[in-house]
Amino acid sequence: MSLLAYLSPSWRDEALKRLQSELTPEKMNNVTTSMSNIYKNCPGGSEQFLFVECKDGKVTRVETGSGEPPQAEFRIIGDYETFARISRAELGAQKALMTGKLKLKGNLARALKLAAVADRLNKVLAKIPTQY
Amino acid sequence: MPRILDPNDKYYIDNPGRVKAIQAEMARRGIDVYLGSRIRTMSFVLDTFCPWRSYVIIPPEGQPVFFTFVVDALRIADETWLDPDHVRAYGPMGGMDQVSAVADYIREELGIQKGRLGFEDGISTYTAEGNLSHWEYTHFKDALDGFEWVNSHDIVDALSLIKDRGTIERFRTASLIVDEGHKAARAALTNGGYKGMTETVIAGIAASAMRRAGSVSEWNFAGLNEIASGYRTGLGACTPPTTKEIGAGEPLMLDFHAMFKLALGDHSHNYLIGPATRRQRWHADNFVAIVQTVIDHYRAGTTPGTLAAIMMDFAESRGCGDFIQPACEHGIGLFGDEWRIGAVVNPALPYWTDQDHVYRENEMVVCAMQYAAPEENIGFRYENDIVITKDGCEVLSKYPLGIEEIS
Repeated sequence: MSLLAYLSPSWRDEALKRLQSELTPEKMNNVTTSMSNIYKNCPGGSEQFLFVECKDGKVTRVETGSGEPPQAEFRIIGDYETFARISRAELGAQKALMTGKLKLKGNLARALKLAAVADRLNKVLAKIPTQY
Repeated sequence: MPRILDPNDKYYIDNPGRVKAIQAEMARRGIDVYLGSRIRTMSFVLDTFCPWRSYVIIPPEGQPVFFTFVVDALRIADETWLDPDHVRAYGPMGGMDQVSAVADYIREELGIQKGRLGFEDGISTYTAEGNLSHWEYTHFKDALDGFEWVNSHDIVDALSLIKDRGTIERFRTASLIVDEGHKAARAALTNGGYKGMTETVIAGIAASAMRRAGSVSEWNFAGLNEIASGYRTGLGACTPPTTKEIGAGEPLMLDFHAMFKLALGDHSHNYLIGPATRRQRWHADNFVAIVQTVIDHYRAGTTPGTLAAIMMDFAESRGCGDFIQPACEHGIGLFGDEWRIGAVVNPALPYWTDQDHVYRENEMVVCAMQYAAPEENIGFRYENDIVITKDGCEVLSKYPLGIEEIS
């Protein structure tokens, strides 16, 4: 498989396909939630987002783009390079949060319950052959 | 699961009603949002034990939102009456530090961008009071640029003065639990049981009895159950227990604390370990008479200043005025509220008990007196939760007043 440009429409489609096939509702603890990653300082200077929605444990939407992301239960804000390093497994998402490289907005108490689910999701996305 | 509030429960507190009362006062003062940080405010609003640094944000209407250290958020959500989504956490994550979490909530979720923000500031002898620190104040102000900050702690102070039925019932139970501690202590001390026993051991015996009776904590930040024996009884009003052994011929002061549904049982009782001298007996009889005199004068309409004067005059009439400390009470409420009496800040002596505060029915105080003759190695302490009534007061610990000689 050739490399897909990070956050491009083709990368987004591949992400949805993999998430739906690799993450069963049981693996996702049957959760209903949504999350927008907001990428600051993207190549070219723009701001982009990655939105993932999950209903009853099934990943139902993956969207990427620029501008205002869809409303989500959680927003995670950081530099493009930080997210890229997480996707390349060079930096753990937890460490990025704990060192302030990423900023979380939403109910932290609930976010912690979903930490393992988010980690599973990130691991699937990290396996997509990606051109950063 | 959040607690279901049941008006038929004898310990019921109308917490939603309390929030509405705060919001009504906010509206009257033109306050758009209230940022509470004191433990007493958490207890008053959430009716839950909130030991970690916490903030409660009270909007103009609707439920408050509570923020606490992330390690304790789920437990509090399980115990309070607030909806789970109204119990939030802060923690060591980007965007989730105390200032970001609270400021973002006010701006982004409440949608309040500017206005008057009530907060809690002041000073207290009580270390754990919880006023905003200078660091918090300056950083919150930076994060909430555009707000006028108004010190508003007196809203909660005034609303929490008169105790409701459920709160008083909790104090009644907490006080009876303390009595169980005193019964267990006496049983352990008498018939020579005190020999070889340390202050720490008698503190633990009482704590165990009170826990069996339903207490969840000895709550007192100054040393849980406070014990003093011998010369230590003359050292003042803060005596965390030591490993000193209780000895014959010594005075012994037992100040036990229980917590039941955030109500703070507090009763100090004294003994003379025989054989007692005539001088020790004289001191003891003085103290009991002083306590009884003060209790007899509590009623709605009197003031702390009046009671202190009665106490001092009576002590002087018995020739023991040099030994009594010049105050006879401290404030009490749900956990975190054990400091000054009254809600008015006297500018001449700010944040101390308002000596001219006029008691009303169903106010509560801890009737608290300290007698100390350190050069004679003797002292006594009395503490008891009381409810002010129209014509007197209800003394909640039923343990008999007296200083018994035991051996």
